[in-house]
Amino acid sequence: MKRMIIGALSALALTATAAVAEYPEKEIQGIIQWGAGGSTDTVMRSVTPHAEEALGGTVVMQNMTGAVGAIALNHVAGSAADGYTLLMGAENPLLYKVMGLGDKDYSEFTPISILARGTPVLVANPNSPFNDYAEMMAYIKENPGEVKFGSTGPGGLPSVVTAMISSVEGGLDVTAVPYDGDGPALTGLQGGAIDVMPAVLGAAIEGIRAGNMKVLAIMDVAANTKLPDAPYITQFNDAYNTYLPWGPFFGVFVPNGTPDDVVAKLSAAYATGAQHPDFVQLMDDRGFTLMAITGDEADAFLSKWQQGTAWLLQDADLTKASPEEFGIARPGE
Amino acid sequence: MEHIDPEHHDGTSDATPGGERDKRRPGEVFFAGFLLIASVGLLWSAWGIENPFGPNGLSAPRSIPVAATLAMVISAAIIIFKTAKLPLDRSETLARDILPVTAVLFALFLIAYGVLLRPLGFLPTSALFLIVAIKLLSKRGWLWTLTVSLTSLIVIWLIFRIVFSVLMPAGIVPEAEFIQLFRGLIRGGMAQ
Amino acid sequence: MTAFMDFLTVFTQPELLLLVGLGTFAGIYVGAIPGLSVTMAVSILISFTFSWDVYPAISLMIGIYMGGVYGGSRTAILLNIPGAPSAIATALDGYPMAKRGEAGTAIGVTTVMSIIGGFVGIGVLALAAPLVSDFALRFQPRDYMLLAILGILLVGSLSQGSLVKGIFAGALGIAIGAVGRDPLTFAERFTFDFQLLEGGISFIAVMIGMFGVSEALLQLHHVNKDAVRQKISRIVPSLSTVKKHLPLSLQTSSIGVIIGALPGTGGDIAALMAYDHAKRVTKNPERPFGDGAMEGLVAPETANNAAVGGAFIPMMTLGIPGDAVTAIMIGALFIHGLNPGPMLMIDQPDMFWFIVGCLVMANIFMLIFGLTGIKLFTRIVEMPRSVLIPLIMLLSIVGAYAVNNSITDVYWMLGFGVFGYFMRHYGYPLGPVILGVILSRLLDDNWRRAIISEQEDLGRFFAGIFSSPLSLVLFVSVILIFVSQTPLWTKAKARIFSKERPRA
Repeated sequence: MKRMIIGALSALALTATAAVAEYPEKEIQGIIQWGAGGSTDTVMRSVTPHAEEALGGTVVMQNMTGAVGAIALNHVAGSAADGYTLLMGAENPLLYKVMGLGDKDYSEFTPISILARGTPVLVANPNSPFNDYAEMMAYIKENPGEVKFGSTGPGGLPSVVTAMISSVEGGLDVTAVPYDGDGPALTGLQGGAIDVMPAVLGAAIEGIRAGNMKVLAIMDVAANTKLPDAPYITQFNDAYNTYLPWGPFFGVFVPNGTPDDVVAKLSAAYATGAQHPDFVQLMDDRGFTLMAITGDEADAFLSKWQQGTAWLLQDADLTKASPEEFGIARPGE
Repeated sequence: MEHIDPEHHDGTSDATPGGERDKRRPGEVFFAGFLLIASVGLLWSAWGIENPFGPNGLSAPRSIPVAATLAMVISAAIIIFKTAKLPLDRSETLARDILPVTAVLFALFLIAYGVLLRPLGFLPTSALFLIVAIKLLSKRGWLWTLTVSLTSLIVIWLIFRIVFSVLMPAGIVPEAEFIQLFRGLIRGGMAQ
Repeated sequence: MTAFMDFLTVFTQPELLLLVGLGTFAGIYVGAIPGLSVTMAVSILISFTFSWDVYPAISLMIGIYMGGVYGGSRTAILLNIPGAPSAIATALDGYPMAKRGEAGTAIGVTTVMSIIGGFVGIGVLALAAPLVSDFALRFQPRDYMLLAILGILLVGSLSQGSLVKGIFAGALGIAIGAVGRDPLTFAERFTFDFQLLEGGISFIAVMIGMFGVSEALLQLHHVNKDAVRQKISRIVPSLSTVKKHLPLSLQTSSIGVIIGALPGTGGDIAALMAYDHAKRVTKNPERPFGDGAMEGLVAPETANNAAVGGAFIPMMTLGIPGDAVTAIMIGALFIHGLNPGPMLMIDQPDMFWFIVGCLVMANIFMLIFGLTGIKLFTRIVEMPRSVLIPLIMLLSIVGAYAVNNSITDVYWMLGFGVFGYFMRHYGYPLGPVILGVILSRLLDDNWRRAIISEQEDLGRFFAGIFSSPLSLVLFVSVILIFVSQTPLWTKAKARIFSKERPRA
């Protein structure tokens, strides 16, 4: 009798491990936080087929937009932690709490892979009366409020970059014109609706190459290999070293509580996918820095990013709630 | 007065069935009143929209909503005033012309569908809906009803689920496992 | 000369030819089913064609795009349910024709006119792309705002019956479009603290509900009546018919190209503006507008297909998407290792001419498939209503869900379906609601952008309008159209308060 029970139990255990070993045994849903055709969408749709190959399964990707990605985040957070629902997102959920956009962020998730990081760049309309960062700052001092900066809403990349500038330079008197994404804002820049746009390098690089916009400064601590001649911001002001390097990123996540071996399998698959020459080439062309980090390294990256950015925005008085309320420590504390 | 013409809707009226121009349909004033009250409520809600990052100036998030709901309130007020002045169309009744039993029944079906969709899943809910609806409307045999409804459901499912990978709630049906099994079979078949 | 060879690529390779044809065929059906959108189809194709070469992938996508824009008219004519937002105006006169048993004629005219529009769009793309994109870039936020106001004035044209009910419906549409988190400040608008509402209401869900479900509920009144027999003897319109409508179709095609080329506006707005234009310039239609006027089909169908070529203009010259589909195609080009942007035309002109070639081919396939499958389509309307009605309801549900994979959209769709049912009964036009939803973001975002740019100063704002020729032209058009709709204030007052409800 006892033997039978042990036998049954071990059989059960065997099938259980077998079931996990078989992951994925059905298709996996990948929820993309942003709309079709955007940066996140392009990155995810180009890395996932390579990851599928390594995984030996199918990932069905869907775009779920709305409320700056909070709808998708809440959807995946509420789904079963079995590795069959992935969140494919960007950096902004780390700011949801301080911006009052939701009560969940990536702390509810386990990172599968932080794929790549972008570099911000300050670009201007070619007809604008300044040619680099220093001239721009001088012009703004002489004409307060007249220079139009593009923005993508509170917490977006431009708001973080302008917060950085104003905390380094002790103020920035410009008019921020809101757009619903960096694509439309860069279109507005080329048409002269705005003068300066802090954008991610990948979105602006083709316009820069064609001379439809000019680089004022790359927001980085060293020259960029894609634009070796363009000035970088620490050339103008050392104080930016405190905040840089900083940039938006893309990552794949699963809800906390997903079995470890599933996380390991997915992480390995996305790590392999990210190293595929096609993907490496795509990231390089668009000026993204390939990261493909996972596990503790990814967790450390996320919390460092969140601390730095949330407090930067808090100090610039752009948040709705203090990071302190959510236990986000000031960097260096 | 009691003259009832069962065919006073000539079949063309179903595109824009606005009734007769100089008469008021049953329930029309009530509907206009509902719109007016709803518009006032929305205007109030629009006025409460605060700009979280600045003053409530011309560029505030409330500006267009307030303008739109104000236009709704004004036009709804004019509509109710105009409608109330028209004579009631006595040849129509609410129960027969506006809300016949079948329409109410189907509206209820749709609500039931919405409620059951998540727990039961797309396939069972839709099968249930189609079978009941088609049986009720066509008054034909069970075999015919089942064939027509299940065939069309399978076609719709194939198009949306397989071709367009629209993941309707699976509910109690293990769709994903089934598809994976099928994929495995095809792969296995091709490998041989 | 090399340009010409690149243009011919698609014609000389049977594989590419087949893919364009397949795409166009599939596109017509995708476009015809409400809720299945070209945007969706193309983004699925990105994963599907991932390992392909770039030429075959693009061929298939272009076919789907062209076919899909045209396909939306099918269900609009046959069932009064636009398959895509760009076919809303087509339903206004197409459906009355189908009810008279002239669905065949309507589809024939639609097909031929779509092709004319398509070719105008392609022609402008091929010959004047840099010129048009320069022009499109010149549109400032205030110009987009004026364009949106111009669009809102279409309420007058779309209100069959009472103008004031049309105004109510249009304002309601604008309010619906504002629901959710404001994309510029993230303030919650009309969310009543429901998290479900934060994402806003998908306007496709509103459209499917108002047109699809409300139509199905209304049809229940006549469930036992036989469907109208469709005459399908004469499908291809006679040469004289085409000739007669040629001047109008060229005008409306131009509207389509320009609106299509503007980033942020697409075929839906183009079709509605073209419909309004047709109503304005057609002095004596054979049948009144809204009753099955041929011009009411010609205008939107030429415009929305011309908008396809238009949408490619900023994409090919600047790497800026003209609409949602071209946005995805830009992503596809990236994935295939190209760098769409202003340099693409210089670095890889072959791509430009190849796309032009594909568009031409897709347009030709559209004619072939458009004129051959009509019998099958008309069978749909001749299906017994007892089967058709439940199927329309089910398709509406799946379609609403498919837009954003959200059950909330299904609830909205059902809610607006029932609401639309009452609106129709009590003579409220549905067109203006959809118009309002479409234009809401355009108006809201650009008004705020414009006034923020002028530092909240109305004086500077108007000075800006008067200092730019483009803004001035748009501003004057707004005033003229507004005055032409209400010739004198007294007359306007008489119209609003008159006892008999005049046709607007």
